Amino acid sequence: MAVPVLELRNLTKEIPAAGQEPFVIFKNISLTVNEGEFVSIVGPSGCGKTTMLRVINGLLTPSSGQIFIDGKEQKGTDGDLVMGFVFQGASLLPWRTSLKNVLLGLEGKKPPQEAGQIARSHLNLVGLSGFENHYPHQLSGGMQQRVNLARALAVDPRILLMDEPFAALDAQTRTFMQLELLRIWSQAKKTVIFITHMISEAILLSDRVVVFSRRPGRIRSEFAVPLARPRDIDIKSDHRFVELENVVWKQIEEEVKAGRESNPI
Amino acid sequence: MKGALKLISILSGLVLWHLVATRVVNDSSLLVSPLVVIAKGYEMMFVTAELYPHLVASSWIFLYGMLIAALVGVPLGFLMALSPVTRDYVNPWMTALYTTPRIAFAPVLLLWLGIDIASKIAIVFLGCVFPILINSFYGMRVVSREFVEVGRSFRLSGVALFVKILLPASVPFILAGLRLAVGRGLTGVAIAEWFGATEGLGYLIFFAGQTFNIPILFVGVAVFAILGIFGFQILKIIENLATPWRKEFETK
Repeated sequence: MAVPVLELRNLTKEIPAAGQEPFVIFKNISLTVNEGEFVSIVGPSGCGKTTMLRVINGLLTPSSGQIFIDGKEQKGTDGDLVMGFVFQGASLLPWRTSLKNVLLGLEGKKPPQEAGQIARSHLNLVGLSGFENHYPHQLSGGMQQRVNLARALAVDPRILLMDEPFAALDAQTRTFMQLELLRIWSQAKKTVIFITHMISEAILLSDRVVVFSRRPGRIRSEFAVPLARPRDIDIKSDHRFVELENVVWKQIEEEVKAGRESNPI
Repeated sequence: MKGALKLISILSGLVLWHLVATRVVNDSSLLVSPLVVIAKGYEMMFVTAELYPHLVASSWIFLYGMLIAALVGVPLGFLMALSPVTRDYVNPWMTALYTTPRIAFAPVLLLWLGIDIASKIAIVFLGCVFPILINSFYGMRVVSREFVEVGRSFRLSGVALFVKILLPASVPFILAGLRLAVGRGLTGVAIAEWFGATEGLGYLIFFAGQTFNIPILFVGVAVFAILGIFGFQILKIIENLATPWRKEFETK
């Protein structure tokens, strides 16, 4: 069997607290993601899914466990750039134009001319040709997230990590961006880990949906999405879509309820 | 519209001044009308040209003081932001020096550096360096964690992180520090020239005050004000050139 693109082995993150039990954010996460797979992670708020993504990316160090990309162990932010990270909010550098933002990960790694071409073609891929010289504040929220995506894709990462990239968008823009992501993904052919709290978004986009438990986050269950690609908005009314959405929702509801009993809001 | 309001503001202020001087005070040994000041200023600039040596002397002191303050303040501010050791080391001295009135240092600086330009530059420097240093420090300290994480997620080296993320994010703060420094620098010029100077705008004002020459005194004050406005405007232009991305951002 081929080596998986990403493998997490017993990944745990806890924050030590003086004289107390450490605060466990997530525990013993083991997950394998294969080439070209789109995996979503859903779970109740505060279950540690975003923290896990930051640990995978090397922005945080795990308390224990290992991360492998193509069978090679990752340590912090050392080593080659093999991951593209799409941030939640406005993470574009306001002093750089769209093009320059996309160039950020290419500068010094590719000859300027080639870097420029790559950046332009990725802006084109996300549908932003003609906006190369716009500053982030001149773009709408949806367009900013397109630049964000182009910036992460431009470095040609082995895996794309997306941290609730559409959370700050209004409902219409969000739906539109989900469909755009389907299109872009079908062209870019990347392995993706996608964090969201929106179950329908996870099902629409993914090959596999991973459900996290309440904090400390563990993998509660995994579902393969039984829907053929290419997908469009109509698929949301497919009975298999609706059924899966209900099953996942019930699990998350249970987690939230159980969480409230031990720690009422 | 904005320009018109500014003009009205300036003109009405001058009219008020004129009325107070001619109708209320009515004593030319205490206050004179702006018309008298303008006439005197015109005479000193274009007829006798006696203003120029003072203007030139003060301008050099100011520019040197600002320049050295920027060359010291910006890197030191950055260093303090990036290195806790430097921060702890410099902080007590910075706080003490910043809060001590500069005028208290003037006599001792004069004693050490002589009555030439060096002591005056030092006094201006002391005024300018702290706002520049403190702003550079905070500018680098408050760079959004998100931007730093963007840099780290793209695996930027330490140098690249500084040049591409930290430095550009701090530029607006540094420029604000420079603007604050203009006012303090000009105060420094006035103070410096009150002690043992033979030329300069501060000397002019001091001398005019000693000899009750109210028109010259006000000319000196007005030139200081104009220099301040001038300095501000130049920095505004630099700001627009250096941070084009902020221009529309702010008017929104």
